[in-house]
Amino acid sequence: MANYSTVSNPKSESGTSTAPWTKILWILWIVLLVAGGFGVAQRLMHGHLPTGYGSYVPWGLWIGLYFLGIGISGGAFIIGAVGYVLGAPGFNKLSELRMAIVLSIAAILPSFLGVALDLGHTERLLSILIFPKFTSMMAFNAWMYNVFIVVALLAWLLSFRARSVWLKPLLVIGAFLSILFPSQSGVFFEAVRANPFWHSPILSVLFLASAIALGAAGLILVRRMLFPDRSVEKDDQESALLTLRVIAVVGIVVYLAFEFAEFSIAFWNPGPHSPNVLFLLVGDYWPVFWILHILLGALIPLILLCGPSKAGWSLSAFLVLVGFAAARMSILVPGQVAGQIPGLQQAFQDVRLTYTYHPTSTEYLVGCFMVALGMAIFYVGIRLSKTTAAGVEQKA
Amino acid sequence: MKKPREIMDRREFLLTGGLVGAGTAVAAGAIVKDRLPSEPQDPTGQATVRNLNVLKNIKPSAGEDDHVRMQRELVKAMAKPMEKRHWIMVIDIRKCVGCYACTIGCVAENKLPPGVVYRPVTTQEIGEYPNIQIRFTPRPCMQCDNPSCVPVCPVKATWKRPDGIVVIDYDRCIGCRYCLNACPYGARTSDFGRSYSSDAAHGAPLGKDRTLLAPESPWQREPSNEYAKGWRRKDEGSPVGNARKCHFCLHRLEVGQLPMCVTTCIGRATYFGDEKDPDSLVVELVTKNNVQTLLPHWENKPQCFYIV
Repeated sequence: MANYSTVSNPKSESGTSTAPWTKILWILWIVLLVAGGFGVAQRLMHGHLPTGYGSYVPWGLWIGLYFLGIGISGGAFIIGAVGYVLGAPGFNKLSELRMAIVLSIAAILPSFLGVALDLGHTERLLSILIFPKFTSMMAFNAWMYNVFIVVALLAWLLSFRARSVWLKPLLVIGAFLSILFPSQSGVFFEAVRANPFWHSPILSVLFLASAIALGAAGLILVRRMLFPDRSVEKDDQESALLTLRVIAVVGIVVYLAFEFAEFSIAFWNPGPHSPNVLFLLVGDYWPVFWILHILLGALIPLILLCGPSKAGWSLSAFLVLVGFAAARMSILVPGQVAGQIPGLQQAFQDVRLTYTYHPTSTEYLVGCFMVALGMAIFYVGIRLSKTTAAGVEQKA
Repeated sequence: MKKPREIMDRREFLLTGGLVGAGTAVAAGAIVKDRLPSEPQDPTGQATVRNLNVLKNIKPSAGEDDHVRMQRELVKAMAKPMEKRHWIMVIDIRKCVGCYACTIGCVAENKLPPGVVYRPVTTQEIGEYPNIQIRFTPRPCMQCDNPSCVPVCPVKATWKRPDGIVVIDYDRCIGCRYCLNACPYGARTSDFGRSYSSDAAHGAPLGKDRTLLAPESPWQREPSNEYAKGWRRKDEGSPVGNARKCHFCLHRLEVGQLPMCVTTCIGRATYFGDEKDPDSLVVELVTKNNVQTLLPHWENKPQCFYIV
């Protein structure tokens, strides 16, 4: 089969040294790492004191970023794996498959860091794997993520073997998991049955659609920024970018359509989740929803992705990532701000017992560290892919 | 005619089917196993019987104080195995004057740090002047029979005991706060490791970062006796970092004492007892038709009842 005969071309996995963005990315990475390192140090030294969440809004920015990373990871893997298995132009080479796998791993591992630092007892993190209770979506997801990582790493390793009968089966099961865990991230919220804003099956669709869009955006970014001069495979690059643009557009449109369907209920027939929706649309959270999520994260990217400008595609991919981070927060925070016991906030007053949430500088800095960690993992993964492929070719 | 390209050969297809099938079967098995009823995590039977000497020298009399009666019934219930008793709380909000003695008594009893509260009392204004009324509603943990907080815990750190109390294992809780979000009553709070004296050292707390560099007073190291253990707030050790909630003062029940909020209620508005004792005061109260529960539509089956 064509795919098996295509031994990876080491030149095609380089590019990091010739990309015009390299210097900027290095500077950005150092800034994110230093600033983020300060945030992580604050968290480690002072525990949860410098954070903004509390007991009535227990989850904040780190959990939002965690679900963003999960989306990018799942989406990148689905697109890369399905594209490779189907032999789609721009996705049918082992080097292109490895790029998607590395991006997927680089997105999911920093997500775990966010969750680990969010835990009250980070040192007990592994208890989720050792003593899991599968009535909890958190335990089920934790196991799925870890199985997925093992599958993705195995697929990455097998991609260096010219003819492995296990590669495609692993990619299919990986793709299966990649569909499952982003959609089950929605179930993570839906399973909170006593929360009228979250307890809606539409969240699974939203999380899956956003994962597809995020994966496509992530792949557009890495292809455009790190591999812009692959003249030998220009046609493949062009067709891959075209496919990724279409996928991103479809993902965003599906997300917006279902989101509108969900929120419009609050206007046609207000129900118990109306206070949450109003908080999001016209209350304190309107800038996050309308400006970051809808305008910057959806409408502008849709226009740019449909246009001819390649720089516009890169910008739109970046905006999609930012926009869906805002979309995650638009699900997370409004779902926690409307208490069901009237007067509870006033009953015992404390800064951690309020139905409001604003991330603190420490939370933003740890977010920077998560991004820096993701960039580092991606860089190391790509370099490792390149050197291993070169070694395998020499050996052959 | 061009032959369509093969996506997979037969061997790959069979391997794929096997992997997906096996993975699905293992996942389904794990979920079903955890959904099936399991053995209680607590000891039951004779090991849980307590023969307490409390009130043995005072004979029961007609018209005795409600607190004496409830304590006597408590001792009687503790003489039964755990699975034979079912604790409930009844709050007569017509008698609650909003003094917050229960809130403060609970804080003192359980050595609660800032931001952790087990029994807040909400205040609601009803009506418009001159037809106006203030309603005070104490809100302990509802110890639901169908708790929404328990199944979401990913590490089996919280469960419902055979006597009806929903407990947390501080040594197992990872502090993910999923249970906080799952409780519609807001009955769980997280211990973020703050202390009163460090806030006081800075004067009025102005922000969440104010406590960072302040000293702590030794009295804050006094152990809390929750779950009949001595929990010292030291470094980041439990209960710091844990979800915390009302447990009907089960450490007091073990020695024949009523929960602190019942004892401190100056209006005699809070009642506590064994629902499985047909002669108990709480059963007398809870069978009347002016009894309600909070947020009954979620079907959590709360075991804290309100007389309205």
